[in-house]
Amino acid sequence: MGKNIERDMEKDMENNETNIPEQHSSSRRNAILFGGAALAGALLARNASAQTVTDTDILNFALNLEYLEAQFYTYATTGAGLPASSTTSGGGTAGGTVTIKANAMVPFSTPFLQQFAMEVAQDEQNHVAFLRGALGTSAVAQPNIDLLNSFNALAMAAGLGSSFDPFASETNFLLGAFIFEDVGVTAYQGAAGLLSSKTYLDKAVGIHGVEAYHAASIRTRIYQAGATAQGISQAIAATRAKLDGTNNDDIGVGTSSSGAATIVDNDANAMTYARTTSQVLSIVYGGGAAGTGGAFYPNAMNGTIK
Amino acid sequence: MDNDHIRRVFANKVSRRKFLAGVGAGAGTATALAIAGCGGSSSNSSGSGTPPSTGITDTDIFNFALNLEYLEAEFYLRATTGSGLSSSDVGSNPGGVTGGSAVSFTNPALAAYAAEIAADELAHVRFLRKALAGLAVDEPAIDLSNSFNAAAMAAGIGSTFNPFADQYSFLVGAFVFEDVGVTAYHGAASLLSSAANLGYAAGIYATEAYHAGEIRTLIAQLGDPYLTYANKISALRAAAGGGAETTLSSSTIVASDSNSIAYDRTTDQVLHIVYLNATAGVVSKGGFFPNGLNGTITASTT
Repeated sequence: MGKNIERDMEKDMENNETNIPEQHSSSRRNAILFGGAALAGALLARNASAQTVTDTDILNFALNLEYLEAQFYTYATTGAGLPASSTTSGGGTAGGTVTIKANAMVPFSTPFLQQFAMEVAQDEQNHVAFLRGALGTSAVAQPNIDLLNSFNALAMAAGLGSSFDPFASETNFLLGAFIFEDVGVTAYQGAAGLLSSKTYLDKAVGIHGVEAYHAASIRTRIYQAGATAQGISQAIAATRAKLDGTNNDDIGVGTSSSGAATIVDNDANAMTYARTTSQVLSIVYGGGAAGTGGAFYPNAMNGTIK
Repeated sequence: MDNDHIRRVFANKVSRRKFLAGVGAGAGTATALAIAGCGGSSSNSSGSGTPPSTGITDTDIFNFALNLEYLEAEFYLRATTGSGLSSSDVGSNPGGVTGGSAVSFTNPALAAYAAEIAADELAHVRFLRKALAGLAVDEPAIDLSNSFNAAAMAAGIGSTFNPFADQYSFLVGAFVFEDVGVTAYHGAASLLSSAANLGYAAGIYATEAYHAGEIRTLIAQLGDPYLTYANKISALRAAAGGGAETTLSSSTIVASDSNSIAYDRTTDQVLHIVYLNATAGVVSKGGFFPNGLNGTITASTT
């Protein structure tokens, strides 16, 4: 692909030098040692599945991700989740559970942010509805989703402490949202080329773009929130890159040594990153094994790509 | 609003079909880019006014994109550094650039955002030129002065508009381009025949969507008069480019349809916007490209 690995590493290293605390540099170096093997595994997995993966499989994979995002934003903005009618499978199987703290509505005090959060919640609900409509009776049910222990485990992995509550404050909400949005962008980018239907391709690219709009707005707000929030975003980005096995395909929010901001999560060719389905699963499972799951999907996704 | 939306989507679909009928589906004859492992075919002809009539190739589409990236790169580089693309990035016979000067940024964050976008657009120009290699078109003549004045007049903002006058006017100038880039790449994605090229296009497309989301967030935060200016520009784009616009507000940061899917535009619709000419039919130059684009996709057919 068009990635310039060497320059990517430079961009990452700039982040390390300017903003990432010492312990991250060292854990990132350790991760590089086994990163190559993990990447090779991911590529093999992708090649193996490429022969049999159908558009239905890919759209259901996307639906699993949209269930997660929709639940996160809907709880954050209303305190309640999706209605049961939006999480059952096309064949009538009931949707799974959502593990989340009581009264999860974020205590918004900034209308400008609250309005945006509601916009994103609506977008993600629309994506769920669109994909369910496109899949019809083939739509999978929502799998079990964890929005409590998952964030705590991720905080631990990122060196941010033993717990993280994305619903506790406006800044925490932005950082929670940050975890999902860039992953959504990379997932759709990786999946788009696998779709055989030009109609689905067009729709998937359209959803891909909306996730990028979301990601940009969230990252801009994190930039404005200041150095602490920026540093946390960098630790999360580094963790995502470690979990997907590349260790060099994710850049947090900050300012590079050249003085340019890093609002866009992209490579040296100014292209956003693509992730294989295996890489995406590794991130959202928190490193859990394919088919077994973990983190946000404690019992894995539903469908054939899981 | 819903009816309005449906009309826009319908209009979009109809002209898209016309576009496909006019140029052929192209998949059979399309040639992948050099970087994807194959040769290609193109020419450096400038705005001849002849719509493409044979199969459209990936090379044609990437050269169309390259024209747009030249425009964006010149705008952002001049705004952030006072100088545009260097001679090594524009081909052997570039058309020249009118207007554009360094913006006086007093807010360091805005300066940092602008510097990032300028670097991204420069990287897009360089990537596309490298990918197209000998088939890359030269930079066409670009106007960053009269174009903005004409757009301001047509949009009802005033008789002149200088996006380089100050950091907030700069944001409005950026707004003119970013959502258009998103819709152009989205429209082109399903026309590309090579999966590798689709991957490249999707990566550039999403970067443009990040830029658009960032610029829209900053203008919504800033409020009037800049928010009103942006929405007048949005209405102008909608009139010239088949709708495909979402009025910007603090609760509508994303530009997307009622399914929360980003809009797409045909090359015809994009040409009408960058030529600042909403009149239906063949338009081959004007606005930001006073002598038209370079390549094979240079004139609107509808």
